[in-house]
Amino acid sequence: MLRRYLRLLGVQLRASSLLAMQYRGDFVIEGIISLFWTATALAPLFVVYRERESIAGWSFGEALLVIGWFTLLQGILEGAINPSLTGVVEHIRKGTLDFVLLKPADAQFLVSTARFLPWRSINVLAGLGLFVYGFHLIGRAPSLVGVLASLVLLGTSVLLLYSLWILTVAAAFYVVKVDNLTYFFTSIFDAARWPASVFRGVLAFVFTFVIPLAVMTTFPAEAMLGRLPWTSLVWAVVGSLLFAFLSRRVWLHSIGHYTSASS
Amino acid sequence: MISVRDLRKHYQVHKRPPGLKAALRSVIHRTYTSVKAVDGISFEIKPGERVGFLGPNGAGKTTTLKVLSGLLHPSSGEVRVDGHVPRHREDAFLKKIMLVMGQKQQLLWDLPPAETFELNRAIYDVPRAQYKQTLDELVTLLELEELIGKPARQLSLGERMKCELAAALIHRPKVLFLDEPTIGLDVSMQATMRTFIKSYNERNGATLILTSHYMDDVAALCPRVIVIDKGLLSYDGGLDALVQRVRPEKRVVLRLNQAVAADSLAPLGKVVTHDNVTAVLQVPQDAVNATVSRALSSLPVQDLTVENAPLEEVMSELFAESKARREKVGA
Ligand SMILES: Nc1ncnc2c1ncn2[C@@H]1O[C@H](COP(=O)(O)OP(=O)(O)O)[C@@H](O)[C@H]1O
Ligand SMILES: [Mg+2]
Repeated sequence: MLRRYLRLLGVQLRASSLLAMQYRGDFVIEGIISLFWTATALAPLFVVYRERESIAGWSFGEALLVIGWFTLLQGILEGAINPSLTGVVEHIRKGTLDFVLLKPADAQFLVSTARFLPWRSINVLAGLGLFVYGFHLIGRAPSLVGVLASLVLLGTSVLLLYSLWILTVAAAFYVVKVDNLTYFFTSIFDAARWPASVFRGVLAFVFTFVIPLAVMTTFPAEAMLGRLPWTSLVWAVVGSLLFAFLSRRVWLHSIGHYTSASS
Repeated sequence: MISVRDLRKHYQVHKRPPGLKAALRSVIHRTYTSVKAVDGISFEIKPGERVGFLGPNGAGKTTTLKVLSGLLHPSSGEVRVDGHVPRHREDAFLKKIMLVMGQKQQLLWDLPPAETFELNRAIYDVPRAQYKQTLDELVTLLELEELIGKPARQLSLGERMKCELAAALIHRPKVLFLDEPTIGLDVSMQATMRTFIKSYNERNGATLILTSHYMDDVAALCPRVIVIDKGLLSYDGGLDALVQRVRPEKRVVLRLNQAVAADSLAPLGKVVTHDNVTAVLQVPQDAVNATVSRALSSLPVQDLTVENAPLEEVMSELFAESKARREKVGA
C-alpha cells in the first residue's frame, strides 16, 4: 500500500519535472520575481526597526528568523502546494475531475501530487539565507535541540498549510468560482510574516487558533532561538494532526457532495 | 454484466431569480427545483454486448453513464456493474471500467500522451509486460507511432481523441462507456474510431455502451439500442426493429435516364425528392413490389434501389413524436 503510493508519487514527480524542464525559462524568471517580492517585503521591517531596538520582545535578528520561516514556507507553498490547488480548480471548472475520480487510487493523493514547480522553490533558499543572517545579527548559533525542534515544526507547518489547502479545495466543490478563494488564502498567509505577538487580543486569538499562522512561522522561529516551551511543541504536533484529520473529513464529505449533486 | 433497475437521478438545482433584489433574497431563501434527469429506467446488458444509447439532448444519457461509472450517486434505484455497486467506487470496480468523454480530456496537456499512458500504468498497477503488449497493440491499431511523443496540446482534435482512447484502455477495461467519443471528428476519423472500438470489443469481449450524435456510429457499432427520452426509456431492442416501428415505409430510389414529369411519379408513391436524374419515393412496405414493377415498366429507369429512411430522419421523427405525445398529455 505505502509502496504503491510511493511509486505513484515517483511517477507524478517525473511528469512534473518533465514539465519543469519544458518551461524552465519561464519558471526561473517567476522564481526570481518572487524572490524580488520577498526582498521588498523586508522593507517595512527595516523601517520599523530603525526606530526601536525590539518590538514585542523581538529584536531585529530574531524577527528576521520569523521572516525566514515565512519565506521558506512560501517557497514550499508556491513550489509544491499552490500548483496542485490551481490544478484542482481547473479540474472542477472543466469537469475533468471526473477522470481523477475514475482512477483506482485516492483522489486526494492524486490531486495533491499532480503538480510541482521546482523553480518556484527558490524562496526556500532565501529563507535559509535569512536564518544565517538573523543568527549573525543575534551573534550566536542555534542549539542542536533548537534546530531539531524547528525541523519537527517545519513538518507541522507544512502539514497545516497543506490542510488549509485541502479545506480551500473542498470549498471549491461548493463554490465553483474559487479564484477569489485562492487569493484569500494567499493574503492570509501574508499576515504570517509578522511575529504572532505583534497581533494582540482578539487578533492573536484568531491567528493562533482559527488560522494557525503563529504556529507556522513564529513557533519554529522561537524553537530555533531555544525559547519555545515544550508544551507548545507538543500542541503544534497534536494540533496539526487534528487539523489534517479534520481537513481529510471535510475533503471526503465534499467529494460525496460532488458525486451526489454536480455534473 | 450490467443491471439497472428503476434508476432515478434528480438534480437539485438552486433557482436564481432575475433582478438584484430577488437575487439577494434568494441567498437566504433558497428555492430548489428538481431536474428529473433520469426518471426510472431499467435494463440488463450481457457480457460482450454493444449497446447504443439514443436520445435528444438533455435526455439523460450522460447522467446514466456517470451513474454507471460511479461518478454520480443515484437518487433511487439499483445499479450493478459486474457485481459491483458503482457508487462505492471500489478499486476493483474502477479497474474494470472506463468512461470516455468526447468533450473532456484526461491527457496531460503540456506533456506527450506517452506520459499520460505511463501515469495510468502506475495508477492501474498494470504489469510491465502486459503494458508493453497493450501499448504496442494500441499504437499499431490506432496508428499512434508519430503522436505519442508530441505534447498533447500540439495534436489535432482527431489525433488527441485517438490518444485519449488509448489512455482509457491502458488497463484493458472489461466495461467501456463511451459518451460521444466521435464528437467533432471528421468522417474518416469517425470511421477509424468506430473500427477500432468494434475490434476492441471483439478482441477483449468487453461490454460497451455508446452514446453518439452520429447515427452512423450507432448503426455501425450497436446491434442493440436503448432510446432514452426525458429520462424515460422509450425503446430497447434491435436497431432494425426500431426503424421498422417508427418508419415502416421503404424508400425506392430511382436513377433516371432522362427527366420525367412530376405527374408521372405521383401515382407510384409519395415523392420525397425529385430532380432530373433521380427520384426518391416513399411507399408502404407491402407496396414495394408493386411500385418497383410499375416504375420499371412506365419510367426510363437506369437503376433502382430499395432503402430504409436515413437514420437521422427516423430518430428526429421518433423524438418529435414523443414530444407531441407529451405535449398532448400536458394539455
Ligand atoms: N449537474 C447538473 N445539475 C443540474 N442539472 C443537470 C446537471 N447535469 C445535467 N443536468 C440536466 O439533466 C438533464 C439530462 O442531462 P444529460 O444526462 O447531460 O443529458 P444527455 O447526455 O442525454 O444530453 C438535462 O436536462 C440537464 O440539463
Ligand atoms: Mg450528454
